[in-house]
Amino acid sequence: MKESQDIETATTALSPTNATGPPDNKARRYDRQLRLWAASGQNALESSRVLVINGTATSTSTLKNLVLPGIGHFTILDPSKVTPADAGNNFFLNGPHSIGKSRAEEEVRLLLELNDGVEGMADTRSLEEVLDTDPEWISGFTVVVAHNLDSKLLDRLATFLWSDDSHPCLFVIRSSGFLAEFYIQYHEHAIIESHSETAPSLRIDKAFPGLLEYAKSLDFKTMDPTEHSHIPYVVILVKALEDWKAEASLPHGGLPPQTYPEKQEFKKSIVAMKIKPDEENFDEAEAQAYKCWTSTTVPSEVAELFQDTRLTNITPKTPRFFVLLAALKEFTQQEPYALPLSSTLPDMKSNTENYVHLQKLYKTKAEEEKGVIKKLLAAPVPSDLVDSFVKNAHGLKLLKGKLWDALNGDKEALANSVGTLPKQVSAHLALSALATFHSDNPTATPTVDALTAEAKKILPELLEGWDDAVGEVVRAPFADLPNTAAFLGGLVAQEVIKMITKQYVPINGYCVADLVDSWTGVI
Amino acid sequence: MPATTQDWDERYYHVDQILEKPGPRTDPGFLAGDEVKEFLREKCKILVIGAGGLGCEILANLALTGFKDIHVIDMDTIDISNLNRQFLFRPKDVGNPKAIVAAEFIMNRVPGVTVTPYYGKIQDKDDDYYMQFNLVICGLDSVEARRWINATLVNMVDPENPESLKPLIDGGTEGFKGQARVILPTVSSCYECSLDMLNKPTAFPICTIANTPRLPEHCIEWASVLEWPRVHGDKKMDTDDPEHISWLYNQAAARAKDFKIEGVTWSLTQGVVKNIIPAIASTNAIIAASCCNEAFKIATSSAAYLNNYFMLIGTDGVYSYTFEHEKRDDCPVCGGEALDMSISSETTVEQLIELLIEKQDIQIKKPSLSTPTAQIYFQAPPQLEAATRPNLTKKVSELVPADGEITVTSTSLPFSLSLRISYT
Ligand SMILES: [Zn+2]
Repeated sequence: MKESQDIETATTALSPTNATGPPDNKARRYDRQLRLWAASGQNALESSRVLVINGTATSTSTLKNLVLPGIGHFTILDPSKVTPADAGNNFFLNGPHSIGKSRAEEEVRLLLELNDGVEGMADTRSLEEVLDTDPEWISGFTVVVAHNLDSKLLDRLATFLWSDDSHPCLFVIRSSGFLAEFYIQYHEHAIIESHSETAPSLRIDKAFPGLLEYAKSLDFKTMDPTEHSHIPYVVILVKALEDWKAEASLPHGGLPPQTYPEKQEFKKSIVAMKIKPDEENFDEAEAQAYKCWTSTTVPSEVAELFQDTRLTNITPKTPRFFVLLAALKEFTQQEPYALPLSSTLPDMKSNTENYVHLQKLYKTKAEEEKGVIKKLLAAPVPSDLVDSFVKNAHGLKLLKGKLWDALNGDKEALANSVGTLPKQVSAHLALSALATFHSDNPTATPTVDALTAEAKKILPELLEGWDDAVGEVVRAPFADLPNTAAFLGGLVAQEVIKMITKQYVPINGYCVADLVDSWTGVI
Repeated sequence: MPATTQDWDERYYHVDQILEKPGPRTDPGFLAGDEVKEFLREKCKILVIGAGGLGCEILANLALTGFKDIHVIDMDTIDISNLNRQFLFRPKDVGNPKAIVAAEFIMNRVPGVTVTPYYGKIQDKDDDYYMQFNLVICGLDSVEARRWINATLVNMVDPENPESLKPLIDGGTEGFKGQARVILPTVSSCYECSLDMLNKPTAFPICTIANTPRLPEHCIEWASVLEWPRVHGDKKMDTDDPEHISWLYNQAAARAKDFKIEGVTWSLTQGVVKNIIPAIASTNAIIAASCCNEAFKIATSSAAYLNNYFMLIGTDGVYSYTFEHEKRDDCPVCGGEALDMSISSETTVEQLIELLIEKQDIQIKKPSLSTPTAQIYFQAPPQLEAATRPNLTKKVSELVPADGEITVTSTSLPFSLSLRISYT
């Protein structure tokens, strides 16, 4: 995928946050989505360029959900004229008035009514013509979306886009009545802001010096009762763990609680510290006691990223994600063998003073560790990117993708999926069989037998759910039902937004939907 | 003029492929062909509740699938912050009623479809009104309104009259997450049955807000819950008024500064006091499509409908879960059995009331309590409130025998809840 390029859009884009006054009209318009992807995500959307091939109902449903939140530009590539059937199932055509007119032009006109800030173009060339004469034109986009494309043409498009990893990612959508699937073709997709729901470690088991000193400086026993009931649980645990480890003469001497009885004993010792039964801070400490024996290490998913060979040879051309990752790896190879500390402290029972003090300790230490990371960088990286990377280090993701349709040629992968996801694979095969059959016999009506024969070329042993899937596909081959189109349009737009903003985690595989039994699944 | 004259050849080319033949999982009772088309396009009457994020999508989908007699209720007017997803509205429509603008838009765009808007509350309408529909789809963001329509449709069911059972399809979204479900009143699990699945709104203890704030949110709550009434007396706070938000923001920011708390912004202030839930077009599209697809399948029998809950989480990949939510025997709306509740013999009436407000599977805002023979506490009218107020400090055990029943009612809900009380 291309980095953002349009300098004008980038500079007139939203400022991070106008913190002190009411928002301007643009921020008000986008308020409900800015709360999900912030100004950084919005700026990425506004500098993106989306190409949609084939102006079907599914395509315009997808575009609607991208024009509304404000992508920068879209082009619909479609040489066809509006048919009576199109006019009936597509909300972005003007009913019978659109029949006979250019489908792309009619749709662009009506889609642009949704948002003044978006630029839209109709291109009435055919994809074949573009691939023959000017394929590089396609690489000027951020994302390419193709719905129900002829399978031979689709293969050409996918191969072209796959040929260079700077080319845009490709969304392939296929649907037939109640059944549908989509796939995102990308080489690699690195995510810093995955919005992971797991909280970063507070490092209670490896308390940093400032925290340890603070905990030790408090004398719980002589404190006044109000003060006692407002010690933050983090401090209680750090102190309790220190005391526990200090009992060096006991069998566990020097170690945190290991066995079940030890853990129970430790918890009891926390409860025993209470001077009044209703001290909620000690209840919190008891509930969070496991943090004392859950050792803070580098999460395995992040550790796996350190294996990447690109980390060993950083050059000025190395993508920033890997420059940052290399520095992070080095950081974790020294004391305390963990990710840099997060500066965000969750809320906990405490008075303001103690909490704010604790927060300051975490912030100071986090800043210090970020400074270490910055020194370890082998190539320059903008400061705000380092901030974001360090803040989100516990949720880093690197998705590795495959060429479109690679699954159908990979007997082993297919066999693996069959075991766990028979219904999903059946639906995928039925849609694949229909696409191939139609490409080879454009005028023939697909039958169950014909598609079964086609599917057996991919997977000789058909499985549970095959009859259900193929029967539905034969019932309404390529039918673009308004509800299925809207459903797909929502799912695909959601994934396009994730790809463009590099926030949240997109699918890595084939997302299949069956709207008879109302389920989705990812193969 | 009958709607069909608006149809052009091949208008329903795509949908008709489904309606002209059954699929492998279609019920044998499906009447493929003209009969089902005629029912869908000329006879079926559907009600859409809500013309907001989900409602706009629902109306467009229904119109394209071939529903031609659509009614829509919404009590709201259009705000600029709706325009990032409510795609039937334009900047010029800001301030106008959603139901009316949406209905006009659909009728202009999709010829031959009649959309009848009602700009007002669902509670304005009676059983006769709801009885006229074949199906009801709900795209609401209010729990209270959903509980009301759910209870109303359950109460309307007359076992002697199959027509009185109106399938209710309910959708809801929050950010990248959402759910769609089919409720067959009295037959399947109802909205009330699943009340405990709702995320509990974050409530901050008053002592934290008043004495030990730690988060910017605590300072904002202080400004809106304690400072506003202290300074403005009875003057009502309007969370849609930017000047009110600015006032709250300034108060909260000053308090945060005193306490050295960082992070109070104008936008956060607005988010906390309005309880803003993030909303985007794409999630609404998925959930609305799912609701309309179920409506289409129920109206045509062209395929089995959802039994009965579809849940989607789109933050990490596309994860969804389809399952059957079970009916609760002690559901106050559809269950019939009393809910067992065990309290201490020391619990006062006031404490019991707090419990009823808090409890995840009850959540009744202003409960009134009575036994079969006596009134315990009534929120209204004022005379009755005054007469029963002394009971608030009494122990429940003084007023209700063990295993005795308490009936709980609330003016906001069209049903009562029976509690069977035991003491510990
Ligand atoms: Zn129920």
